[in-house]
Amino acid sequence: MSISVKVGQVDLKNPIILASGTCGFGRELSEYMELSKLGALSSKGLTLLPRDGNQGVRVAETPSGMLNCVGLQNPGVDAFLATELDYMVNSGAGVVVNVAGHSNEDYIAMVEKLDPYKDKIDALELNFSCPNVKEGCMVIGSSPKAIETLVSDLRKRTDLPLWIKLTPNVTSITETAKGAEAGGADAIVAINTMLGMAIDIRTRRPLLHNNTGGLSGPCVKPVALRMVHDIYDAVKIPVVGCGGASTYEDVLEFMIAGASAVELGTITLVHPTRPVEIVDDLEKYCKENNIEELASLTGTLELWR
Amino acid sequence: MKEEYGIRLVKKELLGETCAVLTFSCPEIALSAKPGQFVNLSCEYFLKRPFGIMSVDKEAKTFSVGVRKVGKGTDKIIKASEGDSFTVLGPLGNGFDFDGVKKLLLVGGGTGIFPIFFASQYAKENGIPCEVVNGYRCKNDAFLYDRFSCACSDFHATTDAGDLGVKGNVMAYLETMSDEELVDTTVMVVGPGIMMRKVSEWAKSKGLTCYVSLEQRMACGIGACLVCVCKIKAEQEGKEFVHKRCCKDGPVFNAEEVIW
Repeated sequence: MSISVKVGQVDLKNPIILASGTCGFGRELSEYMELSKLGALSSKGLTLLPRDGNQGVRVAETPSGMLNCVGLQNPGVDAFLATELDYMVNSGAGVVVNVAGHSNEDYIAMVEKLDPYKDKIDALELNFSCPNVKEGCMVIGSSPKAIETLVSDLRKRTDLPLWIKLTPNVTSITETAKGAEAGGADAIVAINTMLGMAIDIRTRRPLLHNNTGGLSGPCVKPVALRMVHDIYDAVKIPVVGCGGASTYEDVLEFMIAGASAVELGTITLVHPTRPVEIVDDLEKYCKENNIEELASLTGTLELWR
Repeated sequence: MKEEYGIRLVKKELLGETCAVLTFSCPEIALSAKPGQFVNLSCEYFLKRPFGIMSVDKEAKTFSVGVRKVGKGTDKIIKASEGDSFTVLGPLGNGFDFDGVKKLLLVGGGTGIFPIFFASQYAKENGIPCEVVNGYRCKNDAFLYDRFSCACSDFHATTDAGDLGVKGNVMAYLETMSDEELVDTTVMVVGPGIMMRKVSEWAKSKGLTCYVSLEQRMACGIGACLVCVCKIKAEQEGKEFVHKRCCKDGPVFNAEEVIW
């Protein structure tokens, strides 16, 4: 019986990855779980230079979820390499580095800085989907052509697996996924947060001081599942599911829909021990149901005709 | 490993219509919490809600928090019944640093009065001379007044309405204090932002070290999500501020570092 999975050439001891922006670089959550029990950690989204992020209120609760507008607060790629990468490596979890740029040049510069550390990194997750910054990210990630052009450029600069984290805030996520595949991506990560808003009726102002924010949590799971399914049908490269998964049953749903691995995000903020409990639950589920290889569930969805 | 604890509400004392002191059974928190730390408590909505710890009872293995209704989540929590189940993360945050403190002036306002009570208890147990000044709106709003009166030999209230203690806000009392009284004093203040700012400016003018406990909307409470940041003066030259996490780097900061 095995719960290990493969995302392209990347081997993970299980399908559970902590989603970027919900686990920092692992330090805080290491107080609540053995990080080595996880498939991988995806780092906080890194930018070329350090960023303070957005000012003022950054969070609003929603039914079964939350909006955030952190705005990529991070120490920058150089500080990450100096002080955080080794911590992630030593944690014993797989290392996924989330890379967010303001321009194509930013992505290129960061990939070139990260490439020499390829022995320590399992995959680069190119964040083409942060909704909380004004330039880059979601702007690039909304155009299949722009994605293809940038991915094919980055492809030439590194052998590291390139996972493309896509935004759901587009007309057709299968088109952006195809753009990533055409550019030479190794996997698609779907989805980042959905752009949303919350309003204070007393002040008639948005609750978030960035006016809008990214919606995450169990409320987005049905949308994420549908998108994972659509992408799995549309491209040949593997899909990593992300969006509101909170239980082992949710993880199984994502895998059946087509995900090779599943990122957990917002649920970790509410229940910080949940990710490793889900790993145990998956193992138990496989044993109880005589499933030899958990990975064999990927893409086994049978649609009603 | 730290855990998310399943706990029970063992006692609920209503303080007027919008506040309550809730006591929970939880040995881990009761035995390890320090004044100025907080817990992140479940409610029926998605995110937990952060509350400053008001007291612990190490023998009964309980801790108490004061809750004021500010929205739907706190409303649910206040309406809970004794025996109800919750989950909790904690104790969280840095708490107050009492190292080297010779004499304490504790200043509380709003729900900040709850963690101030914990600090006053700690001072008493550790033999630190301590004066407490709480600012209330009026006599009817003066929650924990009796408890502070019994527990603290040097307790003063101010009320905006003037129907209890000194008329005015806490500054009306603080400004009557002589420099001799304030020698060797460390100030700790928890309350509304404007109050903490005024008190810390006054403390600075008197040359006193002042700690404040900042409040922000939070999600995880453990430093992972970065939604609860506050602006702290940067050490790096040419940089005005850094965003520090209220939940993990704070909530207690030296007032000198805070950009209000």
